[in-house]
Amino acid sequence: MISIQHAQVGYQTTLIDIAQLALPAGQIYALIGRNGSGKSTLLQTLIGQLPLRAGSISLGAFSLGELQKNAALRSTQVSYVASMFAGVEALTLHAYVSLGRVPHLGAFGRMQATDLQFVDEVLRVLNLSDLAHKETRKLSDGERQLASLARAIVQDTPFMVLDEPASFLDYFNRELLLDQLQQWVQQKPERTAVFSSHDIDLCLQKGIPMLVLHQHKLTLLTKPTKQEVMALL
Amino acid sequence: MKQRSIQLLISSGMLLLLLSWAHLFVLQQEQGANSNLIFWEFQVPRLLSALLAGAGLSLSGLLMQNLFQNPMAGPYVLGINSGASLFISILILGVAPTFLNEFSYVSAAMTGAFLAASFMFVVSKRVQNIQSLLVIGLMFASFTGAIESVLQSFAAPEQVKQLFIWNMGSLQQMSAAQAPWMATIVLFGIASTLFLVKGLNAMVLGEAHALQLGVKVKLLKISILFVTALLAGSITAYCGPIAFVGLAIPNLSRALLKTQDHLLLILFSVLAGSCFLVAIDVLILLLDPWLSLPVNVLTAVIGAPYVAYLMLRQR
Repeated sequence: MISIQHAQVGYQTTLIDIAQLALPAGQIYALIGRNGSGKSTLLQTLIGQLPLRAGSISLGAFSLGELQKNAALRSTQVSYVASMFAGVEALTLHAYVSLGRVPHLGAFGRMQATDLQFVDEVLRVLNLSDLAHKETRKLSDGERQLASLARAIVQDTPFMVLDEPASFLDYFNRELLLDQLQQWVQQKPERTAVFSSHDIDLCLQKGIPMLVLHQHKLTLLTKPTKQEVMALL
Repeated sequence: MKQRSIQLLISSGMLLLLLSWAHLFVLQQEQGANSNLIFWEFQVPRLLSALLAGAGLSLSGLLMQNLFQNPMAGPYVLGINSGASLFISILILGVAPTFLNEFSYVSAAMTGAFLAASFMFVVSKRVQNIQSLLVIGLMFASFTGAIESVLQSFAAPEQVKQLFIWNMGSLQQMSAAQAPWMATIVLFGIASTLFLVKGLNAMVLGEAHALQLGVKVKLLKISILFVTALLAGSITAYCGPIAFVGLAIPNLSRALLKTQDHLLLILFSVLAGSCFLVAIDVLILLLDPWLSLPVNVLTAVIGAPYVAYLMLRQR
């Protein structure tokens, strides 16, 4: 459950003004909006990277303010998939995905057998097992994007925020990503995911609730139709 | 993958033992005498000096490359040695000889190294590419060099000579009495780095990402700067500025181990750095009858082309 109260979001000026909004758990939400409407800014706010200008937002039991102050707590509550991961020299896909376990590891950062099992399982579900030992720099953009999703899944948080997680994916992997996200939120009762997307048709087809950003406002459409969305954009 | 790393760790450990034995053997041949006194007062400190300097410099290079998120970072190219060098010059030339002791020497070098590292880190946030950063590092080094020259013009010839020898970099300056100090500092530096492994691993993805994974990034950055200054500063104090080890060995480690797991990288860099400097010193000892080379000449002959190759490959 994400609840928003009179929140003003933005860097120097208020870009988005949200009076009141509650996003019940157990769902994924597609954040839709035109270029420059502030999708990334809102997502940066939700992960605690950008402070609110006014008002409050809470993720489950914690307010954004609390999460901002405590990076360790935050890392167990919200995971983030950036729109682009360029890859790192000598870092294999398996090692990259394993970094998602960092918040759960002891002082020396050693992976236990259960951690490794978890990583292997997620790689298998996302069809990445064959690439496990490939260097992340040598993967394709789409493969790296799926790897980022895998990394967020193994972080095992109640909240997941994704910034255009499908921009480099082919048709089949876009479906895979949405199906996996939908499965993910249903695995545990408190889970909620918000992702930004330009792929309105696919989201409509999957019946995903939409958060539409338009004229500095955010509107939740629980059962959106194309006409409704287009009228708002 | 893991097995390969462990094999490499074990073989580098064995190579290090072999090289250390060769070092002791060659030095003994050269001395011609076989006495306990020479062994403990001369041979062991020189070997320890190579072991510790190699380990510490390559570890501080690994840490800096992690902090700057750039494989071309290192204590020498970014002017960390120059900072230590400047502070030591100020100490030697500007302070009454009564204050010249172990403690003041090492703490001056460490302060200089820490200030230089912090300065370069702040600068690195403002420049976009590594080329500019390396040029600034170079400028910083010539700037501190110029100040040293100015200071030297006021100094007595004896002090200037002392500084000149120190600046050449040498593994023979450390005395038997100093060896335990240097060993303690370097081993402490290595041990404390082991507590940073988790953060270092996450930092590979960048600061924002590491923060998202719950790493206390600010504390980590300060710890890296502090340990780097401790290692590079103390080694510079005891052995003078030694180039290229800190830059080349961590890159070699990553290329060989093909991993970003910093536990493995730390252990291998430490072993490989020691191997490298001990091997170089063996070479110096073997060549000694014909020509006496300062350690920096050999590290540069081997290290500089490798670093140039790395830069070319980066493009």
